[in-house]
Amino acid sequence: MGKIGLYLCECGPNIAEAIDLDRITAEIKKDAKVAGIERFKLLCSEDGKRFVTESIKERGYERVVIAACSPKQHQATFEQVVANAGLNAHVFQMVNIREQCAWATPDKEQATSKALRFIRAAIGRVRYHWPLEQKEIECSPDTIVIGGGTAGIEAALRIAQKGRKVFLLEKDEPGGTRRDREWMAARVDALRNNPLIEVYEHCKIRELLGFFGSFVAHLETREGNEVQLKAGSVVLATGAVAFDPTGLAGYGYRELEGVSTVREFEKAASDASDGHPKSVAVIHCVGREKLGYCSGTCCVEAMRVARRVKEASAETEVTEFYRDLCLPGTEHDRFYHETAKTGVRFVRFRDIDVAREGPGLVVRYRQEDGSSGSVVADAVVLSAGVAAGPANAEFARMFNIPLDEHGFFQSEHPVLNPVGTVTEGVFVVGGCRGPAGALDATAQAGAAAGKVLSALVPGRRLRLETRTSEVAEALCVGCGICVAACAYGAATLNEDRHIAVVNEVLCRGCGNCAAACPSGAAQHRQFTTRQMDQEVTQILR
Amino acid sequence: MADQTTDVLVIGAGLAGVEASLVLANAGRKVYLVERQAYFGGNVIKSEEVFPNLECATCMIAPKQSDVIENQNVELLTLTEVKDVRGEAGAFGVTLLRRARYVSLENCIGCAACFEPCPVTAANEFEEGLSQRKAIYVACAGALPNAPAIAMGECLRSKGEECTACRDACMFDAINYEDKDEEREVKVGAIVVATGYRLSGAGLPDRLENVYNAFEFERLRASNGPTEGEIRTRDGKKPKSVALIHCAGRREKGYCSQVCCRYLAKFARYAFDKLEGVEVHEFIQEVSVPGKDSQRFLETALEKGVKLVRTKAVPGISANGSGVRIEFQANGKSESDEVDMAVLAPAIEPGSGAAALAELLGIETDGFGFFRTAGSEPATATRPGVFIAGCNSGPKDMQTVVIQAEAAAAGVLKMNHKDTETGPGEETQERPAGSGDG
Repeated sequence: MGKIGLYLCECGPNIAEAIDLDRITAEIKKDAKVAGIERFKLLCSEDGKRFVTESIKERGYERVVIAACSPKQHQATFEQVVANAGLNAHVFQMVNIREQCAWATPDKEQATSKALRFIRAAIGRVRYHWPLEQKEIECSPDTIVIGGGTAGIEAALRIAQKGRKVFLLEKDEPGGTRRDREWMAARVDALRNNPLIEVYEHCKIRELLGFFGSFVAHLETREGNEVQLKAGSVVLATGAVAFDPTGLAGYGYRELEGVSTVREFEKAASDASDGHPKSVAVIHCVGREKLGYCSGTCCVEAMRVARRVKEASAETEVTEFYRDLCLPGTEHDRFYHETAKTGVRFVRFRDIDVAREGPGLVVRYRQEDGSSGSVVADAVVLSAGVAAGPANAEFARMFNIPLDEHGFFQSEHPVLNPVGTVTEGVFVVGGCRGPAGALDATAQAGAAAGKVLSALVPGRRLRLETRTSEVAEALCVGCGICVAACAYGAATLNEDRHIAVVNEVLCRGCGNCAAACPSGAAQHRQFTTRQMDQEVTQILR
Repeated sequence: MADQTTDVLVIGAGLAGVEASLVLANAGRKVYLVERQAYFGGNVIKSEEVFPNLECATCMIAPKQSDVIENQNVELLTLTEVKDVRGEAGAFGVTLLRRARYVSLENCIGCAACFEPCPVTAANEFEEGLSQRKAIYVACAGALPNAPAIAMGECLRSKGEECTACRDACMFDAINYEDKDEEREVKVGAIVVATGYRLSGAGLPDRLENVYNAFEFERLRASNGPTEGEIRTRDGKKPKSVALIHCAGRREKGYCSQVCCRYLAKFARYAFDKLEGVEVHEFIQEVSVPGKDSQRFLETALEKGVKLVRTKAVPGISANGSGVRIEFQANGKSESDEVDMAVLAPAIEPGSGAAALAELLGIETDGFGFFRTAGSEPATATRPGVFIAGCNSGPKDMQTVVIQAEAAAAGVLKMNHKDTETGPGEETQERPAGSGDG
């Protein structure tokens, strides 16, 4: 198990005055488990680091315990020191006797006893530490982008560069729902003309295999051919769908002539050659209660309808029925005030009902103070939010990414890693991860590009996490409990051999599999049963 | 072309600057991350808990801060400002001014032994003046780098006295009264501006004893703050009623700061968590909670018993003994309310010095003083080679800040590949403002 060297840092007076290091030295000597105990005034100083490196070499220590400050402060420092002495960084254990003892326990006697238990625990576990190998794999710098809307196109254009190819996969044609707009047409041209981007349209993805750095996608082209694509990362940009107000009580959508969604209304307005309507009512927040969230872009979209109607015919009366005006961003308050100035009427409602009476539609509303009123309109436009796309569930299964309660893809962390997912190397951008306007989608595409360009550099190998889990084949009964416990898709069942295996590239070392395994086959390399048993035994001794 | 470099300057080490730096460093770029404060982490580390999962913000960003400190490719320069910028994209020459810390970052171990002997006390700016600090101090417990700085303007030595109290207390030879401000030249190919925001004074009433702004209330709830997380009025009492006032500077500034509805919902939850039996009254004109997680977040606060009052305009506020009187118009009637404590959500505006920095960098600002992004590029400034991340281009939630920071990094990483593709920065598409596409 090797000779263990114990280093005690005095941290000036910080540890030396609060903890009786002489007593600790005497007690540890009595235990006779270490080959040497070294004490130093300040181990993190240049002198201190040199002292550790040289004494490890001189005395031939094979395991090292350093009792000093928080590993948050100096774990990396001492791992480097240990490595400089020619040892594997994993045969080292740090003990926090400053923040957790000297600074937290005012009674010197108690602080000393506590520090002694911590040090014994570290000595106990470090006896069973073994060198862990830093593995590296070759990886592909290429990227598969799935979805050819704003988010997908912008991601592809940002990622494609010398040495990096992008495969853009689209079930239909690139351009998404904004295909008819001029700026989108220009972006689609840029996409198609980019020599580093291969566009596969009208294709269907059958399967995605592999892992970060080395994915393989199987797709079926429109002609029925199977194509295999290899890439190191995947960007999911499959978009969202407009909420469908069919069947929603009170709006008369698909029941009353003259009631339409924003998109239908705009399309009809651009096709129509006959006269302008006398009165238009635009209703905000349609379906919000059912969706359970505010999409954030529809209020502005609803006002844009009013502006276009007014531009075409200033005499047309336009009423915007809203519950709350959601105008995030620095430009939208102004847009609202300008809209109001064009004569558009804004009415806050609590309840609303659309009915046909004679030749026109009547919108009846009740306000928050209980008062009510009605407006006659030729056309009623429903401004609804966006909903998660129906294909998300299948992609979620294929990519092992959880969906949230609304059916959108979940980020790995909502704040810290908003475009990353639990499947490393798979990113989510645009409407498939939640309601997003074109600018939001573009920013998210940029974010995914930043992550891809930074994580996979042509010619650079991917360094893997060393503190991962493994399965002892002889003990594994193939029950699959670890497969269910693994959030990262790293543990899988080998059907042929009927055992579980851990993919080292995907494993993040969380230890869930080891905790869940009923037979002790799954083990975390730095938290083996042996190590933890020793640690706990010594603490409770 | 000889002066071309791929090194990057990141200005501001809050959430945006930290994220952009890490993405760039992981791509192999050398990054100079400059921060004018003595600590880094920006406004984020003022919050105890943040939307949407009420995680501790300080704990959330700490691993990223550790990454910055340990990353060989990032050089973190605190107490440092940009003095001059010359050259062009791919070859900027930048003059940095590092102000004297008077404490050696190499020698100091952060034991805090120097604070107690210092005879000078001053209001702690980080705590919005709600607590006192010494002339040698750290902004708050846990601030990084874990070393204090001396506010030399306050130190007795600047007044001609031979005080050596802090140096005498230091066991690690870390105090250096001879430390000097220093200029330093760096050459970089790209610049990411991540200078953040501050709370605006626009539209706020005169200072009243128990009226707090958002940062002050955050610090009251912070376990490393002036009251160790206990919400107390300035005279030390537990408030029985708290008013939360939305949109305090919106009309004056002319825009919605878009995060306030959510953080006031969080404040309501703070109040219910910390003050048993408290009444929370929210005065609101428009509920603005965009995004898939926001409405549920708001509803959770409402379910705990918030009294939501929709007012015609931002209420008037005046002192009422040690309490606060609130006058407002609702449902066409004038009404009033009396509470022990009121919390205002001021508008978010660019951090101090944004206009001067814009001039120095040669980038445009919008009518509100925020840095303008080029066309519909989300993180590109109006000058080639300069990128923007965080709330200095407009109010954002943390998630959107991180997204923009990563996009800014992508912009930098894309820059040196002009030969292969027409991409962002070179070809930008203007989309009409307020088009609903944004």
